[in-house]
Amino acid sequence: MARHPLIGYLIWAVLFGAIFAWEGLGLAQVTGVPTLSDTFRVIMRYPFGRWALFALWLWLGWHFFIRGWHFLLRA
Amino acid sequence: MVPPPALAASADRQALVPMVAGYLILMAALAFGLWRMYRPGAKPRISRPLAGQGAARPGAGPAVASPEAGQADGPPPGAQPPAAPPAGRARSGRAMMARMVISTVAGGYVLLMATVVAYYYGVARVAGNFLESAVTGPLLLVGLTTPLYAAASWLTERRWRHRPGRPGSMGHRPE
Repeated sequence: MARHPLIGYLIWAVLFGAIFAWEGLGLAQVTGVPTLSDTFRVIMRYPFGRWALFALWLWLGWHFFIRGWHFLLRA
Repeated sequence: MVPPPALAASADRQALVPMVAGYLILMAALAFGLWRMYRPGAKPRISRPLAGQGAARPGAGPAVASPEAGQADGPPPGAQPPAAPPAGRARSGRAMMARMVISTVAGGYVLLMATVVAYYYGVARVAGNFLESAVTGPLLLVGLTTPLYAAASWLTERRWRHRPGRPGSMGHRPE
């Protein structure tokens, strides 16, 4: 497995933490803070937004479940 | 062991260029969407809450929805009620949903393929069977999930139609 500097992992942790913190504020009904659902709802009102979200979903699924995947019994 | 500086710089560039390219592509797509929403000639639109949802929460973003939004809130005063029978409406609802699902799947797949091909030829020639996997992998996902989604939607609708207490269902008792 490749080794990377700690700062790279810390930046990912901060980014994900910020997402959850923002979602928490939105769920706590803080004025002016839309939740992730609100944001997706706005995006999905438009065909291009739906295509982009579906493409993102396909890309994630492709990376997580298909790339580098092998049959269990393959030699 | 510390890698030689030239090798480390090359690896950094290899990691940085795809990330910056992906970021720029995503931001360009979002900017295009925002430009379409807020361009000067755009018609003002009214928010349409989805079924089972109340009014939009304050601060939940600009009130924007499709032009047919007014139809979702019921007919205007004095308008004739829709003449289509419930069965016909259910059929047209299913056709509309099928159209939306098909257009979303096709549009999303084409958009992903365009992005992947542009990325491959314009940014980084990823080693291995990258393009082949990019074409077949999402197709496999679509092939697996679309029938499941259709079956789940059909079952949900069927359960709702046969819900006890709903007018027309077997368990309903008129008072």
